[in-house]
Amino acid sequence: MSEPILRAIGLSKQFGTAAALVRAVDDVSLEAAPGELVLIMGPSGSGKTTLLSMLGALMKPDAGRIFIEDVEVSALREGQLPRLRANKIGFVFQSFNLLAALTVEENVLFPARLVAGGVKAAGARAEQLLERLELTGRRRALPRTLSGGEKQRVAIARALVNRPTIIFADEPTGNLDSRMGQEVMMILRSVARDQGCTVVMVTHDSRSEEAADRILWLEDGKLRDRKTDTHVWRRDPVCGMRVDEWTAVEKSRYRGRDYVFCSHECLSRFEASPAAYVLATGQE
Amino acid sequence: MWYWSLKSLFAEPLRLISGSLGVACAFLLVMVFQAVFEGESRQIVAYIQNTDADVWVMQDGVENMHMASSLLWNWKAPRIARIAGVTEVASILYMNTVMSAGGKRWFSYIVGVDENAFTGGAWEMTAGEAWPQQGEAIVPDVVAILSGLSIGDTVQVLDAELRIVGLSRGTFSMANSVTFINKKDLSRLMDAGEAVSYILVKGSDGISAQDLAARIKTGVDKVSALPKQQFIHRDREMALQMGSEIIRIMITIGTLLAVLIAGFTVYYQVIHKQRELALAKALGFRHRHIYAGVFLQAAAINALGYGLAVAGAYTLMPMIPLVAPQISLYVSVESLVRLGVIGILVTTLVVFVLARNVTRVDPVTVFQR
Repeated sequence: MSEPILRAIGLSKQFGTAAALVRAVDDVSLEAAPGELVLIMGPSGSGKTTLLSMLGALMKPDAGRIFIEDVEVSALREGQLPRLRANKIGFVFQSFNLLAALTVEENVLFPARLVAGGVKAAGARAEQLLERLELTGRRRALPRTLSGGEKQRVAIARALVNRPTIIFADEPTGNLDSRMGQEVMMILRSVARDQGCTVVMVTHDSRSEEAADRILWLEDGKLRDRKTDTHVWRRDPVCGMRVDEWTAVEKSRYRGRDYVFCSHECLSRFEASPAAYVLATGQE
Repeated sequence: MWYWSLKSLFAEPLRLISGSLGVACAFLLVMVFQAVFEGESRQIVAYIQNTDADVWVMQDGVENMHMASSLLWNWKAPRIARIAGVTEVASILYMNTVMSAGGKRWFSYIVGVDENAFTGGAWEMTAGEAWPQQGEAIVPDVVAILSGLSIGDTVQVLDAELRIVGLSRGTFSMANSVTFINKKDLSRLMDAGEAVSYILVKGSDGISAQDLAARIKTGVDKVSALPKQQFIHRDREMALQMGSEIIRIMITIGTLLAVLIAGFTVYYQVIHKQRELALAKALGFRHRHIYAGVFLQAAAINALGYGLAVAGAYTLMPMIPLVAPQISLYVSVESLVRLGVIGILVTTLVVFVLARNVTRVDPVTVFQR
C-alpha cells in the first residue's frame, strides 16, 4: 500500500454527560490510500456520520489525531480549517445540498471562488466535469428541475472542481433509486481509480460493496471486523435488487413476512401498494 | 458569496418584495412624520419669512415671536427711520389668542397692520382684500374651509366681531395661524395706547442686516434688534421646543419599526438559508464571506425598501393636503438623505446582531437528511 492520504489515529467523540453520555466514536483508527474507495458501513446510530464529520474537518475530535497528506488536521486552528476544506476536501451528501438559486454550472463553480485563480481558472475544469458527468445540456438548469441522479452528479462535480485529494461521501445513493444509485457508485469508483482521488464513503447500501476496495464496519462507535458469512441475500420486491438482510436498513413487514429494500424509495413504493409487489414477484 | 447572496435573494421575489415593502412602509411612516415636522417648522416662521423686513425691532429682552409678548413705544419708529441706511419702517401690533370662527376655536397670531404699511400683511391671497380696514379681518383660507366660512362671514377676536374680507394663503399651521386685522382695532382690543409690538425695518442696498441691527441698537434705547434670519432661527427654535417632542417620539418609533422589520427580514433569510450557509462553511467559506453575503442581502432589502418609500412619499404626500388641508408637509432632500443614512446604519446594526447567528451555523448540519 502506498503512503496513505488519510490517517486517523485513536479518534474518539462523545456527546452528553453522566447518564446521558454517548460514545459516538470510540478509539477509531483507519487509513486510506490514494485512489482507494473505502466504505464505512454499520447500523443506524453507529457513529458513521460523526466519524465522517471529524475526518472531513467539520468536527473536532475529543481525542485522537487526523492527518490528510501529512497535515495534522486535528491540530489546525479553527481559522485554518476553511482553507484546508476548500483545497483538499470534497463533500458529497445524501441530500445533495445544492444551492437552490444557482444553476448547475454555478453550483459546480461555487467552491472555485475559494482557490487560487477563482472561477475563471476553474472554468475549463468545470466544463470537463459537466461533460464527463453528462450535465452539459443541463448547465443552465436550476436544481429544482433536476432528477435525483442529476442532482447527485452536480454535487459530485462540485466536490471535484477544486481537484481535492480526498472526497467524503455521506450516503450518496440514499435518496436515489437503484439504477441511479448504481450510476453514482460507478462515477465515484471512476473518480478513485482514474484520478487517484481517495473516496471515503459512509453507506447503508450493501450494493455499494461491489465497487469498494475496502469495507470498514462501524458498530457502537468502534470499528469491528465483519464476519464474511454474515451475508443473507434477499431480493428487494420492488426493484428486484439483491440486498443483504443483515445490513439492510429499509425493512417492512407484510402479512407476517419480513421484506428488505435497497433504498427508502423502494420501501415507500412498497408501502403504498404492498400486494401489487408481493403478487408480482411471487414472494408470498 | 456576494453572487450567491444576491441571486438567492432575487430567486424568491415574493420574500424580497414582502421584506422590502415592510421596510418601505416603516420608512414611509418616518418620512411622513418628518415631512409634517419639517412642514410645521417652516410654517411656524412663515409670517416672518414672508415679510419684506431686513431687521425686526422689539422690546428689549424679547428675541422671538411665537408665544411672546413685546411692547415698545410707537415714537421709536420715526427715530429708527432716521438712522442711516434705513429706507422703510412699519410697525405692527401682535398677540396670541384664540379666535372663534364658524363655531370652532383656533389658536391664532393676531397681527394688527396699518393699511398703508410697506410690509407686514398677508403676502398671498386666495380671495378678497389683502389689507383690512377697521372692523375687518383677513383669515387663512384653511380656517375658512375647515370652519365653512367665506368672505362676508364674521369671526370673533376677543370681544370684537370682525367681518372677513380676505382669505390668505400660506398663513395656516397647526401651531400658529395668522389672522390680520386693522392695527387700530387691535390697539383698542389690547388697550395698547401708543405702543406697538414689532417695528419692521427695510435697509438700503449695500448695508448688511447685521450692521443695520447694530446701528438700531446703538441709536435707540431699550430695544432688541435682530436680522431677519436670526429672528427666524430664534423663533423656530422656541416654537419647536414647545411642540416637537411628540413628533420626535413618532419619528423614533417609526425608525425602530424600520429597524425591526429590516432585522426580522434578514434574520428570517438567515434562518431560512441556514442549510445553505452550513454548506458554504463546509466547502471552506469563512465567516467573513458569510457576513458579507448577509450584509449584502440586508443592504439590498433596505435599499429597495428605501427606494419604494421615496417613490411612495413623492406620490402620496401631494395628496395628503387635499384630504387634510390643515397639515403642512415639506419633504427635503436633506431629510431623505438622513433617512438613507439611517437605512445603512440599520443594515449594519442588523448584520452586527445577526453575526452571532451566522457564527452559530454548524457546518455539520449539512449531513442532516
